Amino acid sequence: MGADILVYAVLYAVTVGAALGVLLNKDTVKSAMCLVLVMIALAGHYLYLGQEFVFAIQIIVYAGAIMVLFLFAIMLLNMREREVTPWYLRNSRFVGGAFALAFFILLAVGINTFGTIGEGRSPAPAPSIPELATLLTTKYSLPFLLTSVLLLVAVIGAVVMGRRTDPETGEDYLADEGELLQESL
Amino acid sequence: MEPTFLYSLILSATLFTIGIVGVMWKRNAISLFMNVELMLNAANLAFVAFSREFGLMQGGALVLFIMTVAAAEAGVGLAIFIAIYRSRRHIRADEIDLLRG
Repeated sequence: MGADILVYAVLYAVTVGAALGVLLNKDTVKSAMCLVLVMIALAGHYLYLGQEFVFAIQIIVYAGAIMVLFLFAIMLLNMREREVTPWYLRNSRFVGGAFALAFFILLAVGINTFGTIGEGRSPAPAPSIPELATLLTTKYSLPFLLTSVLLLVAVIGAVVMGRRTDPETGEDYLADEGELLQESL
Repeated sequence: MEPTFLYSLILSATLFTIGIVGVMWKRNAISLFMNVELMLNAANLAFVAFSREFGLMQGGALVLFIMTVAAAEAGVGLAIFIAIYRSRRHIRADEIDLLRG
């Protein structure tokens, strides 16, 4: 039990510290790298909770694919400008912080209530990957298939949103590299 | 009740709150998106914690679906930001108010 608490304390410190890094960094790239650290720490948490499959897809999909997508978008937008809060948004920070604090208290009360409900039960055995595979291909086979449709629609949507059109004729055109280079300079 | 369950829920609540604060404080649309991802991750952690506590596999399946939706959302959203950046030269969320009432 002592080792458990130690592992948990380290994971908690890394996760919350990196999440605060996401929040407080003015530089978007550093913020994104902190988010990668949050996701890897959460993957460690999943491993610790006995969910190997979720651990694997967390690393591959989140820390790998989605964050690379974010970094690519930051690179394409050439976003090295630092965030500056204008005067008319200063006060909204306090309001937002107060609202978030209230929400956290609400969550804490909810968790506390749940803690008393769950007392006296013995912990259940960790579910296995074959069980998850069976669940996904039997009971949840329709949602599982629909996720593939969703991904297809997302790919088509991203292509449609991302393509360039000629402002005069409305036709698609591919910008040559010189133009892209000039735009980024 | 396992103590790790309670710890996981507390960590999940903390991450979700940090995500909310980020969504309220940031102006840059990509930073907003990163904080939304943080909130999705917090929800995933809560699902996994409940799944572990009750010995159910549904949590893992839901996490898989959430990750798919998050990937689709990130792909389409970042494409939209790039399209907006092309016409406006910035993606400051408070200044993109074309659809305001």
